[in-house]
Amino acid sequence: FQSEGWISHVARARRAHGGRTSHGSAGCRDARHGDRAVLELHPRRGPGAQGRAKKEGSGDRNLTLPPPPRGGQAAILGWIVSTPSALRMFGSEAPRHQRQPGTAERATAAEEAQTQGFGRSGSALTGPVDFSLGCQKVEEKMGWQQSLQESDVSKVRTIYLNEPLRNSFCKNSISTAKYSMWSFLPRYLYLQFSKAANAFFLFITILQQIPDVSPTGKYTTLLPLMIILMVSGIKEIVEDYKRHMADKLVNTKTTIVLRENAWKMVMWKEVNVGDIVKASNGQFLPADMVLISSSEPQVTCYVATSNLDGETNLKIWQALLETAEMQTEKQLSSLSGKIECEGPNHHFNTFIGTLYLNGKSPVPIGPDQILLRGTQLKNTQWILGIVVYTGFETKFMQNSIKLPLKRSNVEKVTSVQILVLFLLLLAMSLVSCLGAILWNHWYGEGIWYIRTKDYSSHSLGFDLLVFIILYHNLIPISLLVTLEIVKYVQAMFINWDEDMHYKGNNVYAMARTSNLNEELGQVKAPSDTGSVKGTLKKVDLGRGLSPSVITESCEFNDPKLLQNFENGHPTKDYIKEFLTLLCVCHTVVPERDGKDIIYQASSPDEAALVKGVKKLGFVFTTRMPTSVTVEAMGENFTFEILNVLEFSSNRKRMSVIVRTPTGNLRLYCKGADTVIYERLSEDSRFMKETLTHLEYFAKEGLRTLCVAHADLTEEEYQQWLMQYKKASTVIQDRMRSLEECYDNIEKKFLLLGATAIEDRLQACVPETITTLLKANIRIWVLTGDKQETAINIAYSCKLISAHMPHIRLNSNSFEATQQAVTQNCEALGTRIGKENDLALIIDGETLKYALHSEIKRSFLNLALSCRAVLCCRLSPLQKAEIVYLVKKHVGAITLAIGDGANDVGMIQMAHVGVGISGNEGMLATNSSDYSIAQFSYLEKLLLVHGAWNHFRVTKCILYCFYKNVVLYIIELWFAFVNGFSGQIIFEHWFISLYNVIFTSLPPFTLGIFEQCCSQKSLLTYPQLYRISQAGNTFNTKVFWFQCLNALIHSFILFWMPMKMLEHDMVLQGGHTTDYLFLGNFIYTYVIVTVCLKAGLETLSWNKFSHLAIWGSILIWLVFFAIYSFVWPTIPIAPEMRGQVNMVLACPHFWLGFFIVPTVCLILNLIWKSIINTYNRTLLEEIREMESSRAQGLYPPTMFKRRYFHTFHDFPKLIRHLSNRRLELHIPNSTGPYSATPASPKVLLSVDGNFILPVSQAKNLEVTLTSSFCYPTPIVSENPIVPTSK
Amino acid sequence: MAMNYNAKDEVDGGPPCAPGGTVKSRRPDNTAFKQQRLPAWQPILTAGTVLPTFFIIGLIFIPIGIGIFVTSNNIREIEIDYTGTDPSSPCNKCLSPNATPCICTINFTLEQSFEGNVFMYYGLSNFYQNHRRYVKSRDDSQLNGDSSALLNPSKECEPYRRNEDKPIAPCGAIANSMFNDTLELFLVGNESYPTPIPLKKKGIAWWTDKNVKFRNPPGGESLKERFKGTTKPVNWVKPVYMLDSEPDNNGFINEDFIVWMRTAALPTFRKLYRLIERKSDLHPTLPAGRYYLNITYNYPVHSFDGRKRMILSTISWMGGKNPFLGIAYIAIGSISFLLGVVLLVINHKYRNSSNTADITI
Repeated sequence: FQSEGWISHVARARRAHGGRTSHGSAGCRDARHGDRAVLELHPRRGPGAQGRAKKEGSGDRNLTLPPPPRGGQAAILGWIVSTPSALRMFGSEAPRHQRQPGTAERATAAEEAQTQGFGRSGSALTGPVDFSLGCQKVEEKMGWQQSLQESDVSKVRTIYLNEPLRNSFCKNSISTAKYSMWSFLPRYLYLQFSKAANAFFLFITILQQIPDVSPTGKYTTLLPLMIILMVSGIKEIVEDYKRHMADKLVNTKTTIVLRENAWKMVMWKEVNVGDIVKASNGQFLPADMVLISSSEPQVTCYVATSNLDGETNLKIWQALLETAEMQTEKQLSSLSGKIECEGPNHHFNTFIGTLYLNGKSPVPIGPDQILLRGTQLKNTQWILGIVVYTGFETKFMQNSIKLPLKRSNVEKVTSVQILVLFLLLLAMSLVSCLGAILWNHWYGEGIWYIRTKDYSSHSLGFDLLVFIILYHNLIPISLLVTLEIVKYVQAMFINWDEDMHYKGNNVYAMARTSNLNEELGQVKAPSDTGSVKGTLKKVDLGRGLSPSVITESCEFNDPKLLQNFENGHPTKDYIKEFLTLLCVCHTVVPERDGKDIIYQASSPDEAALVKGVKKLGFVFTTRMPTSVTVEAMGENFTFEILNVLEFSSNRKRMSVIVRTPTGNLRLYCKGADTVIYERLSEDSRFMKETLTHLEYFAKEGLRTLCVAHADLTEEEYQQWLMQYKKASTVIQDRMRSLEECYDNIEKKFLLLGATAIEDRLQACVPETITTLLKANIRIWVLTGDKQETAINIAYSCKLISAHMPHIRLNSNSFEATQQAVTQNCEALGTRIGKENDLALIIDGETLKYALHSEIKRSFLNLALSCRAVLCCRLSPLQKAEIVYLVKKHVGAITLAIGDGANDVGMIQMAHVGVGISGNEGMLATNSSDYSIAQFSYLEKLLLVHGAWNHFRVTKCILYCFYKNVVLYIIELWFAFVNGFSGQIIFEHWFISLYNVIFTSLPPFTLGIFEQCCSQKSLLTYPQLYRISQAGNTFNTKVFWFQCLNALIHSFILFWMPMKMLEHDMVLQGGHTTDYLFLGNFIYTYVIVTVCLKAGLETLSWNKFSHLAIWGSILIWLVFFAIYSFVWPTIPIAPEMRGQVNMVLACPHFWLGFFIVPTVCLILNLIWKSIINTYNRTLLEEIREMESSRAQGLYPPTMFKRRYFHTFHDFPKLIRHLSNRRLELHIPNSTGPYSATPASPKVLLSVDGNFILPVSQAKNLEVTLTSSFCYPTPIVSENPIVPTSK
Repeated sequence: MAMNYNAKDEVDGGPPCAPGGTVKSRRPDNTAFKQQRLPAWQPILTAGTVLPTFFIIGLIFIPIGIGIFVTSNNIREIEIDYTGTDPSSPCNKCLSPNATPCICTINFTLEQSFEGNVFMYYGLSNFYQNHRRYVKSRDDSQLNGDSSALLNPSKECEPYRRNEDKPIAPCGAIANSMFNDTLELFLVGNESYPTPIPLKKKGIAWWTDKNVKFRNPPGGESLKERFKGTTKPVNWVKPVYMLDSEPDNNGFINEDFIVWMRTAALPTFRKLYRLIERKSDLHPTLPAGRYYLNITYNYPVHSFDGRKRMILSTISWMGGKNPFLGIAYIAIGSISFLLGVVLLVINHKYRNSSNTADITI
């Protein structure tokens, strides 16, 4: 009875819980806030704000709820969940009992998820019940409604035990690779040619095969295309090879299977449906199987499911008692019967099956008995299971989903521009066609030497094709593959970054996708969740009697408490009871690791408490489904757990009813101080002391809990049990009736004490937030936490400052929300739309109304007018919806950062999703685009990598466009003098090798090594981020400007050599030249110009830049030389024969070699330098500073920081100032002082008048307000100008 | 197919944060490359820093330009149009198609003597040698003496590939339209008998063309035999093996032919026709005085409004007369210098405008 009863009990409780939430009743939680939504203008003061907030909270609000888990910022508001991870989120709002799958509830959740057509496999997100239409849109937009239906309609499968397979099921071997040996070529080509650009070039290649149409030869596009396909093919092969290897590793893992009446080691891939598998401790399960037996008592087993749902706590599974005895080979091999179950599907929580054992009545099998592939057996010596699903039919694999492909903004702009360029190409071709028609019209008759009448039959279409082929290279063929490689390397740089390596868990940052690298440089609105909250570091256990001691790092070491306990202090019993309670009243699962016990808890708070009491000698050792064992002072006590009274946000407490080792019935409860105090019996002691402690804890910013117990009589309990059973079967409003029922027994508590837990922020969070704010990044906190918690976090991470007025929106009706929003908008008046020093705080309930289409706009305006926005109590979907809202209506690039499963939706919705790989499992990380270990690494990720990558990628793209336009527009210029005949001026292969050889390197160096300025500067001056953020370096304007520039260059590059060779007499022997001679001139000049242009774009020349720029020119010259000698040995390029001798010997060539590129680049140079001087950007300032630092000169900031100057250095120093102003701030004097070189001897003059006596020049604090360079300061032994700032 | 599934998770013991999972350190090397700290030169482009560049460019380019300009100006060049479209021109009579053979004579005077080697060119205008259909209409294998290509020329030569069922050698439109005027130069001088100026017809083609690219087909004693089975281009009067009397300037390796086969880049072009070699240091090659040009007028240009010219030119170290480069160098140098001055002003004016105040806060 007990076991069964317990399970159903929990299940019902959960079901009830779910039922309540699914009705979306807001409860009275926020009633107290009512419709109050006005501007609060009383600023918070000083550093004590947080503490005060706590104090206030503990005073009048229910601030000291049971600890919400960090990361498990659960949403308890009108949502259904469908996965265990989501279940955990419910539960993890408060300490709760151990994880035991509740059959009924699981099924319900899944059913509901199905019926609504929502549900995103693998994530905690499912649809809302009564949410606005907006959500639907979000869902559709995000593609969450995946084709789940197909798997839902599943056939029943029958598995016969110990019999050969009657029907073939999926093999257990898996393959995640994209290609196989045979499918590689077709599949790869298909994938490549489904890209528009590649398809275009394929089209051109095909066109070139039409006889007489191609002006450039038949294979000149094919070759670069092949090279490009080969390069990305190699990349694909390497990546796929890794996947193959990983698959092989998995497939060849071994497990023990019952074969021919004996246990045999077989490889995973040989495991079949119907096999009986024996798995031992620590092993990963090879397939989905029905648990039939285990080594543990009560046929339970513990399983780690972090692979599946990212939850790090262990979960308990329990086999059917009917099969528990079947353990030996003999028993098992004599088993006969069948299992009937549903077909494979992706729902983790459902399983419907029946076990028919011969000679026994059928037994239903539920999800409790299904062990899933991907999970790991823990704390269990062995288990036996019958395999039901294998390979891709396992729920784990069914849940492996394609991540939605995100494309960066730059990529989108680029593809638009490619399209525009394509149109331009068509336009050019048409113009050329027209030219050809006109030319033929004017000349056609008389040109006897060509016999044009033979061609006059050619239609306009034919000519058009000729010109399309002629100009097709305007579209940069190598751009895609260049970007692919560039971004790959950029991602590697992110992965390699030592600064983003967290020693705490040895985790590096990881770019899981590389196609968003540049997007990192454009983030304008990251929305982050409570993920800033770090690992729990501090646990305080307060005790009503003894003064609590705050200790660090989970080390609870309160000598007084222990002393009192050991010395038989009058409070000894209370202390014992207090500690026992903390050992018993929770949902933690212990895991033995040798001698140590590792606590697996869904809520780190619970684990911390249990660990805390362990230090005090109360060790929680074992958990059974119906009991827990505690080793207190060397003795083992087993508590039988009868009921778990679940936590809910309404109740703000959690209780267990246990039978103590002595046989008494007792109720242990922990919860918020207010609810506990309400229920204390009159006999309760220490009430006053505890209150003082609570106050003290709150002041310290700790999360507090009160613990209390009550003894129950048998009669009382039985009576209550009846009530409970009744309540748990109520269909309508079950939650309420259950709560009422719980309330009946949770009374007459005896207070035991209070606990406090510190939820410490991760390192450097406030600093990071300050920096990000400076970088003009708006930060919105979207959290499932309570409002108070969220506000406190916002305070402690300096998102909200003490003097910042708040706007609070807490309404429970649409009208009220509308009114509040309008009211606030009016109050802001003209300041709306601008960033004001305001904080907007809104809860999920209000948000639901605020996002109605009528007021959505004004709400958004209001939110955008505030510097900080806090959204509390949000469901995962609401988080995603806010991100969607910002994305759609503001048009900003959004970044979502989070660590929990509830952040997945948001992470996938945002332009850039960042997962924090931390304690909360891997779900967020797995669905993110970038994962980092610490929130503070966001700073480096965005400000350094983001800014750099943006600069790099945009430069690379612009440059690729530029170089193509430069070369291929020349063909157009040439068309003007060759009668629009489509003749090319260069050798065929030069045209096709241009992108793949001669100018392939500079884009790479620009894309990989370019640095706008040093990492240090980027971090020191977050303002620099605004450059890339605003996208000023890459937009349509810049693109066309670059194209115009290329047009001018191409014009110069064609026109100047043409004029030079106008009279054909440029060789010393008087020889005349041909068209290719001119072509080679131009081509060489193009290469030089284009390479040097890359140099001009390069802000930071490292060795690779030099190699690429000079190397490219050299490669061309070498190639040119060799190529001029191949005919007739190799039958290509007869026209080229002898060109190199003539070209290089031609003085005009060398004279042009210097002047033509100079003319092109001088324009850019003058433009750049005038811009840089006239309208000097911050970036230029900083680069100047860096460069002077590199030259051993000290720029102002350096000067300010570490300066010790002897007095007599000042004249020297000032002399170096030339005309620049130096401001000196001298303590105890007024105003800044200026020094000018006019009066170096008198040291300082203020405004040109005041002369500071030498004797006063002590303790100068020097601040320089203009940028200039200093000679290295001479460090004196007798410093008189130390600046300590 | 970015799958969420990572087989490694199953092998390594799950994600790094999973309890008990062994964490493989993927610590990268702390190298300058991987940490992106490679030493780099960071050029700063402001008025102040690029100033010297402009002055240097100016200072270098202007003298070079002057040098080139002077050199170019010292070159003697005379250009005589003999198209004959002008009715007063002696060659006007040759425009009518039935006047063949037509010989006309044009008188001209050299004001200054031409010293050193003098080069004689013919120039054509409005002749699109760079037309696509024209440029490709040749078979380089055939011209290289390939026997199979000789008898079976490339399709590119169409419609000048075969004539009367015989392959054309040399095939193609370029060869077919070869320039075939004959130019002779006479110095009138003081005596009544004009002195013919010796015109050298060898050495006018590129060395590689003459020796590598163009070869007569192998075999046979006489050239005629080697070209057996081929026919002359449609427009030609004589077959290719009768282009010249000298065997080393006949057939495909005839230099006039080779020169023609290098198709010009622009519709107005010159081709080297003859060399007038310097006789001695004492006498100018072409002394000042009256000359006449004897033209055997064959080549029709009237139909496409073309012009024909004869050019006599001396040559400097950098080729023939072309003032463009000199002017370009001088112009760019001056502009550069000017820009330098402008930058100097800008630099002076804006040097102190600064955002650093923002930075130091």
